[in-house]
Amino acid sequence: MTALAARIGGISWTSPRTIGVVGIVLGAFGFWLALPPLAARTAALPLLFGILAIAAGIWTWSRDERRVGGGAIASGLLGLAFGILATQSSTGHLSTVVVWSALIAATLRYATPLTFAAIGGLYCERSGVVNVALEGMLLTGAFFGIWGAIWAHSWAGGAAWVIGLLIAALAGMALAAIHAIWSVSLKVDQIISGTALNFLALGITGYIFIDKYGNSGTPGNVPDYGIPDVHLHFLSNWYFIGPILGQLNLMIWLSFVLLIATYIFVFRTPYGLRLRAVGEHPRAADTVGISVYRIRYIAVIASGAIAAMGGAYISLGFVHSFSENMTAGTGFIGLAALVFGKWRPFPTWGATLLFGFSSALADRLPDAYGNQWGTLFQALPYVLTLVAVAGVIGRSIGPAASGRPYEKQ
Amino acid sequence: MTDELREEEFEAAPPPEGGVPSPSQHFASRFGGIAGAIGPIVTVIIAFFAGGLVVLFTGKNPFKVYHAVFNGTGINWFFHVGSYQARIPFSTHKMWFPWDTASIAAGNLQQTLLITTSIILTGLAVAFAFRCGMFNIGGQGQYLAGAYFAVWLGTSFQGLTPWVHVPLVVVAGALAGAALAGIAGLLRATVGAHEVISTIMLNWTAVWVGEYLFGQQGPLQGSNPSVPISDNIAEGAKLPVFWGLALLQGLSIGIFIALAMLVVYWLIINRTTLGFEVRAVGFNPEAARYGGISVARNYFLAMAIAGGFAGLGGALDIAGWQFNIGQNDIPVNQIGFIGLAAALLGRNTALGVGLASLLFGCLINGTSGRQLDPSIFRPDLAGNLTTIIQGLVILFVGLNLGGIWVAIKRRARRAS
Amino acid sequence: MAEAPLLELRGITKRFPGVLANDNVNFDLRRGEVHALLGENGAGKSTLMNILYGLYTPDQGQILLDDEPIELGSTKAAIEQGIGMVHQHFMLIPVMTVAENIVLAIEPRHAGVLMDYDAARRRVREISDRYGLAVDPDARIDRITVGQQQRVEILKALYRGAEILILDEPTAVLTPQEAQELFVVLRSLKEQGKSIIFISHKLNEVLDIADRITTLRRGVVVDTVSAEGATEEGLARMMVGREVLLRVDKKPAAPAGPLLQVENLTVIDDRELEAVRDVSFEVRAGEIVGLAGVDANGQSELIDAIAGLRHVQSGRVLVEGKDITNGSSREALEAGVGHIPEDRHRRGLVLPFSLEENLALHDYRYPPNSRRGFLNLRAIGERARRLLQEFDVRGGVPTTPAGALSGGNQQKVVLAREIDGDPKVLIAAQPTRGLDVGAIEFVHRRLVEQRDSGRAVFLVSLELEEILSLSDRILVIYEGRIVGEFPPTATEEELGFAMTGGGRGAEAA
Repeated sequence: MTALAARIGGISWTSPRTIGVVGIVLGAFGFWLALPPLAARTAALPLLFGILAIAAGIWTWSRDERRVGGGAIASGLLGLAFGILATQSSTGHLSTVVVWSALIAATLRYATPLTFAAIGGLYCERSGVVNVALEGMLLTGAFFGIWGAIWAHSWAGGAAWVIGLLIAALAGMALAAIHAIWSVSLKVDQIISGTALNFLALGITGYIFIDKYGNSGTPGNVPDYGIPDVHLHFLSNWYFIGPILGQLNLMIWLSFVLLIATYIFVFRTPYGLRLRAVGEHPRAADTVGISVYRIRYIAVIASGAIAAMGGAYISLGFVHSFSENMTAGTGFIGLAALVFGKWRPFPTWGATLLFGFSSALADRLPDAYGNQWGTLFQALPYVLTLVAVAGVIGRSIGPAASGRPYEKQ
Repeated sequence: MTDELREEEFEAAPPPEGGVPSPSQHFASRFGGIAGAIGPIVTVIIAFFAGGLVVLFTGKNPFKVYHAVFNGTGINWFFHVGSYQARIPFSTHKMWFPWDTASIAAGNLQQTLLITTSIILTGLAVAFAFRCGMFNIGGQGQYLAGAYFAVWLGTSFQGLTPWVHVPLVVVAGALAGAALAGIAGLLRATVGAHEVISTIMLNWTAVWVGEYLFGQQGPLQGSNPSVPISDNIAEGAKLPVFWGLALLQGLSIGIFIALAMLVVYWLIINRTTLGFEVRAVGFNPEAARYGGISVARNYFLAMAIAGGFAGLGGALDIAGWQFNIGQNDIPVNQIGFIGLAAALLGRNTALGVGLASLLFGCLINGTSGRQLDPSIFRPDLAGNLTTIIQGLVILFVGLNLGGIWVAIKRRARRAS
Repeated sequence: MAEAPLLELRGITKRFPGVLANDNVNFDLRRGEVHALLGENGAGKSTLMNILYGLYTPDQGQILLDDEPIELGSTKAAIEQGIGMVHQHFMLIPVMTVAENIVLAIEPRHAGVLMDYDAARRRVREISDRYGLAVDPDARIDRITVGQQQRVEILKALYRGAEILILDEPTAVLTPQEAQELFVVLRSLKEQGKSIIFISHKLNEVLDIADRITTLRRGVVVDTVSAEGATEEGLARMMVGREVLLRVDKKPAAPAGPLLQVENLTVIDDRELEAVRDVSFEVRAGEIVGLAGVDANGQSELIDAIAGLRHVQSGRVLVEGKDITNGSSREALEAGVGHIPEDRHRRGLVLPFSLEENLALHDYRYPPNSRRGFLNLRAIGERARRLLQEFDVRGGVPTTPAGALSGGNQQKVVLAREIDGDPKVLIAAQPTRGLDVGAIEFVHRRLVEQRDSGRAVFLVSLELEEILSLSDRILVIYEGRIVGEFPPTATEEELGFAMTGGGRGAEAA
C-alpha cells in the first residue's frame, strides 16, 4: 500500500505521459457515459470527452510521447464514434447489449482460451523461443480434447472430460516437441517452424475429424461429459457479483490458478530465474552450468500443454463441439496479448480481458442490431489487436534472446 | 581467422527491433542454382511420403490415392501424344497440334492452371516481403481484399467495354491488396509492430468484412435476397478465355498475367535499384541504413508491392473464372496460405515460386471434390491432406536440407 | 620457490580447422599468485583459458589440480573444481539484479522451491565485504557502471567457491582509475589465498600486477618469467617476435581550409542520456585529426550524428560550409561524408551480398550504376573488378558473397567503397580492429594517402598507438566532451591522463 502511495506521489501531473494517459481515460469515459446504466441520451457528452481526449493526445504527441499520444487520439476517436452511435440507438437496444454482469461473464469466457494461450506462450518466449504455433496448439487441444472425452465417455462417464483434458495436453506437448526439436536443436527459423506447425495442426485435426465424425460432426451429447461449470449457489443472490462468478466454467477458475502459479513460478522460484536467464542471455546461463537446451525443451513443451488445455476449453467447456479451424486466430490474439502484457502474467491477463471484452460485445450486438452489424463487429477483436500492436507492442521489448537459436561453444 | 568462425559470422545478421530474427536470415543461403534445388526436392519427397503414411493410416492405398490425384491434375494430358487439331485462340482457325485440346485431361489441366495462377501471385506476395526481411502471412487477406474490389467494380458498371472494365477490375484489386498490406508495412516501418501478428489480424478482419459485405442484406449481396452470394460480374469485366469453354471455367489469360508477374518480380528484385534496396534491407537493415537507404520506406513499399501481387491474384480469380463471391466461400478459401508454402518451397526465387505453385495447383485441383473419385478417397479428407503436406513442406524446407547436406559432407571430409 | 603448483596444464594442444591454436602449451599456477598470460590477439590465450574453463576439450594434453589429473568436460565441472572465469564480454543478464546474477544456478531457497532473496542478498554482502568488492545487491545490472559489473562477475565466481580466477582482458573496458581499483581487489584476493590468471596484452599492467608472466605467440609458449626484472621492451619482443614499431612514414601535413565543422553538438544515446555534450571541432583539408578516448565515451554517437544516422539535439554539422545537421544518411553521403564504420559486419557490409553489390551500396542509384531505376550490372561489375584489384582484395571475385572473405579483406572492401566515393571528409572508426599486421599497414597507408590528396580524415580509435602514429592533431573525448587537444608529439601518458578526465574529471564529477 505504501508502495502504491509512493508511486502515486511520484507521478508528475504535468508530464506529457500523464496527460496522454488521462486522454485515454477520458475517451473511454465518454463512451461509458453513453452506455447503461447511465445511458446519457445526448451526443454532446461523448463528443465533449472525445474531443478533450483527442486534444490531450495531440498535445502529448507533439511532446514526443507518440505512443501514449496516439493511444489517446485513438481512444478519443473510438469513444466519440461509439459514444455517438450509442446515443443514437434506442435505450432498449442498448440495454439488451450492455448487461454488464452478462458482459463481464462473457468476457471471462472469451478471455480464458486467450489466457491459456498467452500463458503457454509466456513460458516458451521467456525461455527465448518465439511461439507462433500457439494457434495450432490450441486447435490441437480443441480437437484431441473432445476426441479424448468422446472416446472415454463409454467407461469414464461424466468424468470423461478429465481424460479429454489429459489427451489434449499430451497432443499439445507432441506438437510442441516438434517445435522444440526444430527451433532448439535444428536451429530453424522459429517463425517458419511455428507457421508450419499451424498448418500441420489444421490439416491433422481436420483430417481426423472428417475421418472420425464425417459430415455429422461431433456427437450432440458432449455437454453431458464436457468440462463442468462451477456453481457457487451462495453467490447467486449477490448483486452484480452473483451473475458473474456464480456459474463459471471450471477452466476459468483454473486460468486464475494458472496465472498466480505462473507468477510465482517465473518470478519467485529458482527455476523461474533460470528460465528468464536462458531467455535473456543463454550464454551467461550456460557458463554457470545451466543447460540451455534442456530448459528450452521443457519450456516449449510445457507451453504446448498449457495452450492445448485452452483449446480443450473451447471445444469441451464452451462450444461443446468441434469444427474445422474453430480456433480462428485465437492463438494469435493470445500471442498479441502476451506482447501487449510485456511478457508478464497479470498485464497479459489484462490484455486478454480487453480482447475478450470485444468478443463478448460483438457476440451480444446481433441480439439488438441484427445479424448484419453483428457480423461486422466480429472483426472487432482483430481490429483491436491490430490497434494494440500498433500502439504499444512496437515499444514492448521481450526477452533479449527471443527468436535466436543458441549455439553451444 | 578460422573457417568455422567465418561461417558463423556469415550466418549471423543482426535481428531487427523487437528481437525477432528476420526470416531472410534463414534464407540467406549461398546454395543457389542447382544446389539450391536439392533441399526443396528432398522436402517434397519427404512431405509426400509422410502424406502417404497418413493415407495408409486411414486404411487406403496411398499409391492408388496419389495416382487418382495425379490423374485429376490433368498433367497426364501431356502423355497422350497424337495428331489433333487445335483451335488458335481468339480465332476460328485450326492448326495441327500433338495433344487433344478438348479431352477430359485437358479440362483438368485448365483447372489446375487456373488455381496455379492465384497461387503464383499469393506466393509472390510472400516472396517479395521475404526479400525485405518480412514474413507476410497476410496473403490471404490481401487476396480477399483484391477479390472484394473486383466483385464490387465488376458488378458496378454494366455494359462497359472490356478494354476499360477488365483493367479497372484488375488494377483495383491489386491496389486493394496493396492498401491492406500497406497497413502492416506502415506499422512495421513506423512503430516496429511485427508483421506476423498484424497481417494475421488483417486476414481475419478481411474475412469478417467479407462476411458482412456478401452476407444477408450485405451491401454487395446479389439480387436474390435469399442467398448470401454476390451478383456475377458484368460480361465486360471477365477475362478472355483462350483454352476451353468459358462456361466450363476454361483457362483465361490470367495465367499469362501471373507468368508475366513472375518476370516482373525477377526484374524488380534483381535488376532495379528498388530491388537492390529491398534486398539490402532484408539482409541487414542496419548496413542498408548506413548505406543511405531508407529502411522504413522499403518496409512499406515491399509490403505494399507484396500485397499488390496477392490482390491481383484475388482479382484475377474473380475476373477469370469465379465471377462472384459467396459468403460461405470466404472462410474456407486457403489460397493465400498455399502461396506461403509455395514461396518457401520455391526459395523466393521467380522460377522456384512458379514451379512450386504448379505443384500446389496440381495438388489442390487433384484433391478437389470435382476431380477426386470419392470411392477412392474422400475429397474433404484429401483437402486436409493437402494442408498436411503444405505444413510438412514448410517444416522441412525451413530445415535448409541443402545446407545441412553440404555441412555433413564437409564434416566428413574434415574427419578423413 | 619450490612450492608445488596448484594447477598445471601439460602439453595442451588444440587444433581448429586450418589453425593450430595451442601447440604443446605448458602452464602452471601457484597458490596465491597472479600469473599473467601475455600475447597478441589470436595468440591462443583465449583458447587456452576456454579449455581450462571446460568450454573446449583439448586434442592432447593434461590438466592437473593439486597433482591430480582432472577432466573438464563442461563449465559445470570447472566450477565444481573451483575454477571461475571473468569473461571479457560479461556474462551478466542486464535486466536482472546483481544478487540474481550472482546466485543464478545455485540459488538459496526456502521451503525447497521458493527463492530466498534475503539469503541471496546476505550472501552477496558477506562476500563483497570480505574481498572489498562493494556493490548494491538490488541494483539492476544495466543501471550500474562497467567497473561495477566486473565486480559482479568476480563475485559470481567467488560465490561459486572459486579458488582459481581467470580474468580475460579485464582492463579492456575500464578506465585507468577503475583498473587501479581492480588491481587493489586482485591484491586483496591474492592475500586471501586465491590464485589468479590475468590475461592481457598491455605490458605495463602486466608488470604492475603479475608475479609471473607467460608469453604466448601463435599458440606456443615463448617463455615464463618472473615479473621482477622483466622489462616492457623484453616482453614486447617476446610477444611480437620483433621490435615493435608502429610508426607510419608520412610527410608533414599541409592543412588547408576546414572541410568538416562541428559546432556545439549535443547528441543523446539510445537510453536518452546525453552522450555527446557541446562538442566543437573542425577537420581541415589535408590533415588527419585523431579522436582518442576510452570506449563508450560518446565516440559512436558523435560519428553517427555526423553521418546522419542519429538525431542531433542541438548544434550544427557542416561539410564544406554546407549545413547537414539532422539530414538523412543519404544527405550526409551526398555532401561528401565517407564513413568506415566501427563494426563492419553490422554496418559496413551486407554479408550475403556479393562484393560488387557491397561496393555499390552507396552508388547504386547514380549513373552509370543505374539508369531510370534499373541497375547496370556491367558497370557495377567493372567497377568492382577495378576496385578489388586496386585495393588488393584477395579471396574473391566480384560475385563472391562478402561473408566468405577474411576480416582484413572485408575491411579492404569497405575502404575501397568509401575512398572511391571521393569523399571530402573521411570518418575512419576503429579502421584496423581485428586486423593482422599486414592489413593494418595497408589501411594506415591508405588513410595517409587520403590526407595527402587533400581530404579531411577524422580518425576515431581506441588504440592510442594508432592515434599517435597517424594523427596530425589529437582530440581527447571524455564523457562526451572534448577535454583537450594535443600535438602528435604528445606522450601516451599525457593522453591517458586526459582520457580519464584528468584535471577536468574532478570538477565534472
